[in-house]
Order: sequence, then C-alpha cells, then structure tokens
Amino acid sequence: MSMEQALQTFFEECRELLQQMEDILLQLERVPDDPEAVNAMFRAAHTIKGSAGLFGLDDIVAFTHTVENLLDMVRDGKVGITSALVAELLLCRDHIGDLVEHAASGGEINAEFRNQGDMLSARLREFMGEAPELGNPQVPAERATMVEASGGGKVDGDTWHISLRFGKDVLRNGMDPLSFIRYLATLGEVVSIHTLVDAMPDGDSMDPESCYLGFEIDLRSDADKKTIEDVFEFVRDDCQLHILPPRSKISEFMDLIRRLPEEDAMLGEILVKSGAITQKELEEGLSAQWDVDAPLGEILVEKETVQQPVVEAALEKQKQIKESRVQEAKFVRVHADKLDSLINMVGELVIAGASAGLLAQRSKDGPLQEATSIVSSLVEEIRDGALKLRMVEIGETFSRFQRVVRDVSKELGKNIGLEISGAETELDKTVVEKIGDPLMHLVRNSMDHGIESRELRLQRGKSECGQLRLNAYHDSGSIVIEVGDDGGGLNREKILNKAIERGLIQSGQGMSDSDVFKLIFEPGFSTADQVTNLSGRGVGMDVVKRNIEALRGTVEIDSAEGKGTTTRIRLPLTLAIIDGFLVGVGESFFVVPLDMVQECVELSEEDRRNGKEHGFLNLRGEVLPYVRLCEQFEISGAGSRRESVVVVQYGNQKAGMVVDDLLGEFQTVIKPMGQVFRNLKGISGSTILGSGEVALILDVQALVQVAASNEAKSLARVSVQG
Amino acid sequence: MSKTILVVDDSASLRQVVGIALKGAGYTVIEACDGVDALSKIKGQKINLVISDVNMPNMDGITFVREMKKLPEFKFTPVIMLTTEGQESKKQEGQAAGAKAWVVKPFQPPQMLAAVSKLIM
Amino acid sequence: MTVLIERERNLVRLSPEGELTIYHVAELKAELLSGMQDDPEVEIKLSAVSEMDTAGFQLLVFLKREAIRSGKTLRLVAHSQATLEVIDSYNMASYFGDPVVITR
Repeated sequence: MSMEQALQTFFEECRELLQQMEDILLQLERVPDDPEAVNAMFRAAHTIKGSAGLFGLDDIVAFTHTVENLLDMVRDGKVGITSALVAELLLCRDHIGDLVEHAASGGEINAEFRNQGDMLSARLREFMGEAPELGNPQVPAERATMVEASGGGKVDGDTWHISLRFGKDVLRNGMDPLSFIRYLATLGEVVSIHTLVDAMPDGDSMDPESCYLGFEIDLRSDADKKTIEDVFEFVRDDCQLHILPPRSKISEFMDLIRRLPEEDAMLGEILVKSGAITQKELEEGLSAQWDVDAPLGEILVEKETVQQPVVEAALEKQKQIKESRVQEAKFVRVHADKLDSLINMVGELVIAGASAGLLAQRSKDGPLQEATSIVSSLVEEIRDGALKLRMVEIGETFSRFQRVVRDVSKELGKNIGLEISGAETELDKTVVEKIGDPLMHLVRNSMDHGIESRELRLQRGKSECGQLRLNAYHDSGSIVIEVGDDGGGLNREKILNKAIERGLIQSGQGMSDSDVFKLIFEPGFSTADQVTNLSGRGVGMDVVKRNIEALRGTVEIDSAEGKGTTTRIRLPLTLAIIDGFLVGVGESFFVVPLDMVQECVELSEEDRRNGKEHGFLNLRGEVLPYVRLCEQFEISGAGSRRESVVVVQYGNQKAGMVVDDLLGEFQTVIKPMGQVFRNLKGISGSTILGSGEVALILDVQALVQVAASNEAKSLARVSVQG
Repeated sequence: MSKTILVVDDSASLRQVVGIALKGAGYTVIEACDGVDALSKIKGQKINLVISDVNMPNMDGITFVREMKKLPEFKFTPVIMLTTEGQESKKQEGQAAGAKAWVVKPFQPPQMLAAVSKLIM
Repeated sequence: MTVLIERERNLVRLSPEGELTIYHVAELKAELLSGMQDDPEVEIKLSAVSEMDTAGFQLLVFLKREAIRSGKTLRLVAHSQATLEVIDSYNMASYFGDPVVITR
C-alpha cells in the first residue's frame, strides 16, 4: 500500500460519496423533512473533508468545510430545507466533484474555477444567515483583566522547568505519564527528572489503579511554551501543570510585549501572543484565579468564561443507518484489473478442468472419475463465485438518472417523475460500464420528444406530471433493461412515410408494428424531428443500436399511440464465460449458449423433406424456421447420418439448428475472435475444448435471423411458384 | 515488540493513510470500518491504542468506545477520537465515554503520529 | 499474571510473571502484600516481567514503602529490560537502592 494507492482510494471514495450526496439531495427535494438523510449528507461531506485533509488537498477541505457547516446547521434545524437550498447544494456537490476530478487529474485550479467556488461559499453563508460560523474556535470574550506582577519567579539557569502533578484518574483513562515524559524528551534534552511519590497513601487506602505521582523536570529545549504545554494536552484537565521558562526567554517576552500594538486592557491576550502564556493557561486563569509563573513574575488573571451553547442536536443518537450504507461498509475494494485477471485464470481453470474430466472419462477409472467430477463441480462454483464478484447492481446506474431527469425536465419546462424498479438486478461490471451512454440517449429521447408538454397532456386528459420508467430484470440468461414513458407514443404512419421518403423501404404493407418501430434505429432516420420521439441532439438512435449490438444485445420498441413508448434492451449477463451446449457437425464442434437452448429433437426423414420444401420445420404444429449448420458454414462430409435439431430462442423468436451430434452441456470461456474473423456471421467467439480442439461459439441471435430470412425467402419462392 | 493500534473510520482512504503513517513508525495496525466491525476485530487481540472516528454508520465512535470499555481486557486502553472543529459537545461526550485524547479533522499524518507518541511512546 | 513464591530462611522471593500493568495491579497488590507478610526480607524478582507501565512502577514504589513502614528490607532483583527502562526513565533506581546491572 502506497500513498499513491491511498490517494486513488480517496478519489474512488469521493465519487461514491458524491453520488450518495446527489441521491440524498434529490430525495430531500421530494421529502424535505428527513433528518436521517441530512445526517447522511453531513457524514458524506465530513468524510470527504477529513480524508482530503490527509492528502493536503486544501481546496477541497476549504470548500467542503463551508458546506459541512451549513449542513450542520440544517441538522440542528437552524436552517430549513428549501428547494433553493437543495439546488444550491447540488451545485456545491458538483463543485466538490470538479475539485476532486481536478485533483485526480493533477490539474491546476485556475482563477475562474476558484472564483466559482468562492461565489458558492458566499451564497452558502447567506443561507447560514446571522448564525455564527461553527468553524471558528471560540475565544472567550474578555471583560476585565487584572495583571499583577510580583517579584521574579524562581527560574533556574537556561532550562525550562516543568512542574507536574497528575490527577488520580490518569492511569484509569489509559494515559501513561511515562509516555508523556518520553515524548517530552523528543523536544530537547531532559536534564533532570525528579519523581515525587509523597502523595501516595499507605496500606489499604492506596488504590493501585489511581495515579499518585508528581514530577519536577528540567528541560533544555528551543520549543516554545505552547509546544511544551501541548505535550500534556490530553491530560491537561487531569493534572496540574506549571511551566517556567528559561531566564533567557524572559527578556524576549518583555521585548515582544513592548512591541505589540495592543492596549493594556488586552493584556491577557498580549501574553498569549508573545508566547509567555498559552491560551490554555489564560483560560484556566480566567476560570479559576490560577497563579501563572510567567516571565514577568506571577500573574493573576481573573476572568469569566462564556460557554459556547451546546449544539443539542449533535447529541442526537445515530438512528438506523440505511441498508446500502451498511452494505457499503462491508465492501472490500479490489482493483478491477485484479478481478479481470482472476476471471481469466478461472477461465483457464475451467478449460483445464474439462480436459482432466475428459481424460478421466477415457481412462474408465472409477475413483479418478469421481475425483475429477468433484473437482469440476468445485470449479463450477469458483467460476460462479468469481463472476459474481464482478456483478454489480444496476441501481447505481439507474439512480444517476434522477439527476438527469430533474435537470432536463427543468430545462424543458416539463414536470417529469422518474420511477425506478429492478434496481437490484445484477449484471457484469463490464456491461454496466458500456450501457450508460445508450441509456442516457434513450432517457433524453423520451423526455425531449416522448413526454408531451404540460398543456398537451392536460388536453389529452393525462396527469400533468409525466412518468419515465427505468426497469430491469433477468430473462433466460439475459438482462432486460426497459426505458418507458407515458408520452405520446410512436406514430406508425408518420414513421412509414418518413422511411419511404428516405428510401429505407418501399412500402409498409405487411410490416408488423414492431418492424415499423425498428425503422427509427436505421442510420438515415435520426435527423427526423417532430415525427417521433427522437432527440434532436445529433446522435441518432442508430448509434444506440450499434452500441447495444456491440455488447451482443438487442433493442426493441413497444409503443401505443397516445399512451407511451417502452424501449427494451436485452443484454447478456456477462461477456466472459457461458454455459454451453456442445454439438458436432461433421468434424467440427460448435457451442450453443445453454440459456438459449429450449430443447433438442430428432430430425426425421419426413421433417427433412418438408423442411427443404417449405423452408421451415414443423415443431408439434408450430412453424419453426431453421438453419442447417453444415450449409451455413459450408462443412463437407456432414449430413449423411441421422441429424438432430437444437431448438433455440432469442427474445421471442425461436429457430432450429440442424446438427449431426449432440454432445451435451459444456462450460466454456469465450475467447474473442481475432480481427480476421470479426465479420464472420453466426460466430461470436471461440473456445478450446479439453481435448485441445477448437470449438466455435454460435451467435444465436444472428443465426435466428438467418433462419427467419431463409423462411421468408422460401415462402416468397413458394408464393411465386404458387 | 511492536505496539498494536486499532484504526476505526468509515473512510477507507483515511484508514489507508493513517495506516501507512503508523506502519512507517513501526506500529502494527488493525483497521475497522465502524464500531460493530471494530468490536468484532478486537476480540482476542492486545490493543495498545485505539484511533476512532465519531461519526460512522452502523455504530458511532462514542458508542463503540463505551462498549469496548465494558470489556475487561480493554478497560484501560487509550482512545484517540477524531473530532471536527465545532464539535465541542461530541468531544465532551467522547471524553465521558473514556476517549480522553483527540485529533481534530482534517489533520496531516505527522499530527496523528505526534498524538500517538504522546500516548504510547 | 501469576506470582511465584519461594521461601528460604527469613527470606521470601516473589517473582511476578508477565505484564505488570494497570490491568493486573489490583490483584497483584493483594497477592504481593500477603506474600511478603511473614518474612523480614523480601526480594522481588523482575526477570519474568515482560511489560511494565506506570501503574506497575507505582506498585513497586508502594511495596517498597510498605516494607520500610513495617521494618522489612525489600530488594528488587534481576530486573528485566522492560522494568529497567521504566525505573530508569523515572530516575528512580536510587530510590530503590538496588544494584542494577547497567545494560546500556
């Protein structure tokens, strides 16, 4: 662990805390009266400030300090939560974020940026109104000070003399005088130390856990009085301490005092400033008429102290913490690279395990087979566990949109609420990282063009407040993410007209609604403006589609005119390892992702004939488009033997794949295809079998499309012929 | 024999920095992220000093110190509270619970080391 | 924390083992006091004391004083490094008046 790593941890921590602050602020905007939320917000600011201080990030400390003070007053009920305050705090939160990112990138803070921070701070202080700034240490107000000098103190040579009497409870409080004295020795040289034990009672009345010791110490040191006094700061209330300065210091103090501009009435202060007495000594003098052996002699200061009113809300016990915070506290931070390399290793392990299993099977050695089967089931668990490590809930990604929806709806002058469901749905971190942009685009689209203006909504008899929905759930090995709105919906006719005008299609006849809606993902379509709910922001929906397809996902649209639109993204849970179903075609091996396999059936001679004729198979009376892998991949020497059909499903489309051999379930690690094979249709990756042979992983989505178009072609052929 | 210090704070980066400083000074460091975690981690350990934040989720620092001091083997263990300016009442509450020393946040590692040295040198 | 008690003619040798710290001083006070009750000469052997704090040191001072009060002689012998350091820091070797092997 190095400071550099700790600093990275800090930045990461800040980002999380800032996200938390944002969530809380947005929540406060809706439910202003939530003391726990305010407390959590305070805690977040407090943590950022505290840690920033450790790294000497003074700009962050200074700015966060003001925010923290304000939050403290909010916590105490001295400042009420208004939407103006929340808006201001959101800006502050962003500013902290900018400061953090600045620090992270090592950038210089320019004047404009600093100015921005100063303006925010100034506005925060306005919110704080008349109330005193909590950050300033309280200096007791002076009323009357009387100083009296009486003959020279007994000061010995050129050493400080420290006279110490410890209170009885010092040891019980875990303080050891020995430690203070050893620390004192680091300030200079302890010339002499005399331990006094006279205060200790005899026999039974001596309590061995009480402290009865006193010390007279001579210290030769260049340190000032305050530094020496500070050695004992933690026992200061539990001991009597007199510090006599060396003789040479006395004239120094006198000189200093003469040169100070203050008037006599402020003498107590003057003594502190000159270093002749410390603030603490002054305070003690103020409260208890205590004799101070100062360089000028014995000083008696009499003063009343004014206690700062105790902030009563600070006493308030911490209530139940939010569950997410509890969980966060149990997290271990791991670098993503380490996780990736672990998952890679597990991938290798899976392959090696499969290889061992295969060998064991061939050996016909019972105990060996048993042992390898135990190993492989453990490997399976490790694989699942390793992958789970990289699984994150989508909720964090979703909740970021709270802010987007809030900001954009203000910008658009629409009233739009965001409803999140399925936030706990998990998916691979690598997928999550890439889904943010497409989601952002869809959300903005819905807000810009999906949800109608307030007037129009009222006119249509809808509630004034538009609803945006983000939803996620698992469905047969995929995660489905929905972005829905209750806006105007898509207009089929207008889309068709536009598509025809742009030359994308000839006519809309026979096209299903979902096919029509899919047109808006076509590249030439994005510049359309009022027709559909397309964002006019330059980036088209085709980019959204491309991004999603790059993740082996699909996107589809449901829409009802006047009622709203739902865009559904379907993505694989992970990009690394899949449970596969191994099949053989000729001499080649293929892997079908197991989640997509519905069933396996034998291909009868009759089926084969009918299939050739009609372009589809008959699956218990159901039309099943199919594809013959030997034809698709031009594999010779296949198809002579008995064949089988693997029925797969992608989305709500089913298709059959005709293969020679069904070889059973098989766990596999996806190795991406090299650049050369990138465009090979129907193959999404490769893997190595235990025997060392290569198996290709089928891109079921692409093959289902091939099957469907085969069917359409032969149907067309049939109709032409017919 | 190196002395053992327990660092309790919900900020991982703070624990790391304090940890680096303390280890650099030759101490053994145990980290905990809140009071509950801390109570579970001190079991069976010999702890020479505790450094604890006040404001933490799950179990705050003051409750933690109070609970820890109930255990006979930690009855006299010194505690440094991490307080904030303006939290005078928290400091007093902490002292009443048995945390007699404090360091004001934000602090730099040398300040922390000085406070530690005063207590367990 | 245990105390080994050995008796010779007129002499008792008390050897506390382990930590001579605030956690144990209450029980040690009772044990050591009763151990030194019957004999005019008391030796406290410190070789097995692994750790000593101010409370432990204070207890030694107390025992020394109790011994003097009841007309006994008390010697600290075989100081361990841990005990030597404390007594040294407090500049109290002469108070106990024992021959101390200077190790540094």
